Amino acid sequence: MNAIIAIAVKDLTLVLRDRTAAFFIFVFPLFVALFFGVIFSGAGRAGSGRMPVAVVNESTGARGAALVAQLAADASITATIVPSREEGERGVRRGRFVACVIVPASFDAGMLSLFAGGGLTIELVTDPSRRAEAGLLEGKLNELAFLQLSSMFEDAQAMSQMTTLGRTALLASGMDDEQRLALGGVFTGLDRFTAARARSEAAARAPSEADAAPGSGAADGADDQPAWRPLRVNVSTVLDERKNPRTSYEISFGQGVVWGLMSCVTGFGASLAEERSRGTLLRLRTAPIRRRQVLLGKALAAFTACMLVQGMLIALGQLPFFGVQISSWPLALTATVITGIGFSGLMMLLAGLTRTEGGAQGLGRAAVLVLAMIGGGTIPLFFMPPWLQAISSISPFSWATTAIDGYTWRAFTLTEMAPALGVLLAVGVIGFVVGTLCMRWQEE
Amino acid sequence: MLSLRSLRKSFGSIQAVDGLSLEIHRGEVFGLLGPNGAGKSTTIAMSIGLLKPDEGTVELEGVGSPRDARARRHLGLAPQSLALYDDLSAEENLVFFSRLYAVPQPKRRSAELLELVGLSARARDRVKGFSGGMKRRLNLAVALVHRPSLVLLDEPTAGVDPQSRASILELVRELASGGVTVVYTTHYMDEAQRVCDRVAILDHGRVLALGTVDELVRAHGGEVTVVVERGDEMERIPTAEPLTVIGRMLESGAATGIRIERPDLEGVFLSLTGRSLRD
Repeated sequence: MNAIIAIAVKDLTLVLRDRTAAFFIFVFPLFVALFFGVIFSGAGRAGSGRMPVAVVNESTGARGAALVAQLAADASITATIVPSREEGERGVRRGRFVACVIVPASFDAGMLSLFAGGGLTIELVTDPSRRAEAGLLEGKLNELAFLQLSSMFEDAQAMSQMTTLGRTALLASGMDDEQRLALGGVFTGLDRFTAARARSEAAARAPSEADAAPGSGAADGADDQPAWRPLRVNVSTVLDERKNPRTSYEISFGQGVVWGLMSCVTGFGASLAEERSRGTLLRLRTAPIRRRQVLLGKALAAFTACMLVQGMLIALGQLPFFGVQISSWPLALTATVITGIGFSGLMMLLAGLTRTEGGAQGLGRAAVLVLAMIGGGTIPLFFMPPWLQAISSISPFSWATTAIDGYTWRAFTLTEMAPALGVLLAVGVIGFVVGTLCMRWQEE
Repeated sequence: MLSLRSLRKSFGSIQAVDGLSLEIHRGEVFGLLGPNGAGKSTTIAMSIGLLKPDEGTVELEGVGSPRDARARRHLGLAPQSLALYDDLSAEENLVFFSRLYAVPQPKRRSAELLELVGLSARARDRVKGFSGGMKRRLNLAVALVHRPSLVLLDEPTAGVDPQSRASILELVRELASGGVTVVYTTHYMDEAQRVCDRVAILDHGRVLALGTVDELVRAHGGEVTVVVERGDEMERIPTAEPLTVIGRMLESGAATGIRIERPDLEGVFLSLTGRSLRD
């Protein structure tokens, strides 16, 4: 055991004295965490993640103004009122806005002629590179349009205008008498419903409120009574409030850990090849210790470095400025230890597969860097498209990211964490066994 | 002390060691000489347990095969390449290797060895700032941290200045006089002649000659040559009776200078292994 510890202490000392290696293991991950934290800053705060949208109101009516007001008040949109559609479109082209919403001049008239062949029309100019966000915006506009429609049914004057226009259109239509009579009955029913509702509201409200303007009355009515909404989409996430990332650093510190682990794997993975080329491996092998003790010493050094980099980032994350919260300290400790074992094994595999320093560094760059990148080192896993997420499951870094997210903002239970921990443990054991066999094969 | 019996080792189609047998005695300095590719490194690798012979046995007196980790506690190796950690100090290198051998009080032992190789003043300096000679001396010191009874020195003076070389050779003789067995490989024949009690000359994985330097010179060195100078002319006279030849030359009075060239180990080496270049 003393020999294993001596080798581990020696390797850690050498890494700490190699300024470049020490920088990439202990300092660079912090930069990554801070950099991506700033990039994603506000992702967990209220009001963040809003779609920037330009709004052009060409309508002069109350309905158009009400829709614009609703857009401006919506929590998922940052609406910028622009004076013309040209300016709005220019903003979209330049990437300033996801889309430009144009409320046309005919918006109010279209709504009033809903029963006379008219309808709601809103124009949307989108950035073709941001189709997903445009789709979300289209859904949002439908929701707001339905709200406008529901307010119409609560506005007696508007309803009267709508049924009058509907009857005029009905007379001009080519329907047979039976159909015309039935539809006329619908309009009469709507008129009676509107009159009864107005009387009921007048009795319930103060006189000043009963005299309120139709547009604002619609909004007030929506507050007092459930508005007519043909479709309600109640949006919720799979995570409760406790499980949402509270700050962007809860995501970026995980990325920092990934980069730290990657540096540990490449840094310590090359150390065996360095020992071989320097001749010190010969000396280690002639000492009265077994091959696996040499490898265990190296694995212990890598494990310690993995633990240090994880511990350092977790500790820094606890500072109030970063606000990274640990959902369960025992689970965090378990995940940290098993992640350390997994990546020590990965280091052993790299060390065993390469004979030269150049080979170790080449493989480190080619394979480990790619695995780290697709494993959440550059783009958080949940931002990745599904196909990349599927591919990323081959990367141990991906499982480490899942484990880190699990003991921070995802607040996993042990059962939920178990698959990630199982994979990391398997990587550790397989890496050590294969690395040892490769080293023995190379020596013989 | 070390018995190599009928060792054979091949790498693919190359027969590196071919039926080699040696008995190395306690307290002697044993020279293992041979051109490149003669099988010296393979023999050393089998002697320290790094390589398993295809055939034959390696045995350390009283402790068994060096393949056994416990037996290796009695072995010390100073490899030809400077097997040191450049970013550690001289003391740290020695302390680290002391710990691998579970040497008690490693810092004290480190100080003793630094004194022995004349590096006490540089104990705390990192090895990367050392000269070639200093590194060679430290390389030798590392081989001695655990007080081994058998030390294998592979080209211990390669690329060092005359002062360091003299110091290393003196240390080798001190080790032998202290009862340590030393296996010494070198390409410098004068060194081997100076420090080795016995020498084996290897080629093609076999022992070509074995004995003390004097025995080898007598057996394979040829006759003494008397070189007679007459003005600008020079005559070389091989003879078994150099004094008789010299007396005759002096009587004739024609000689302006006379010297004797004795056969040496280099001559033996070249006569046994040939003059063709080895890569």
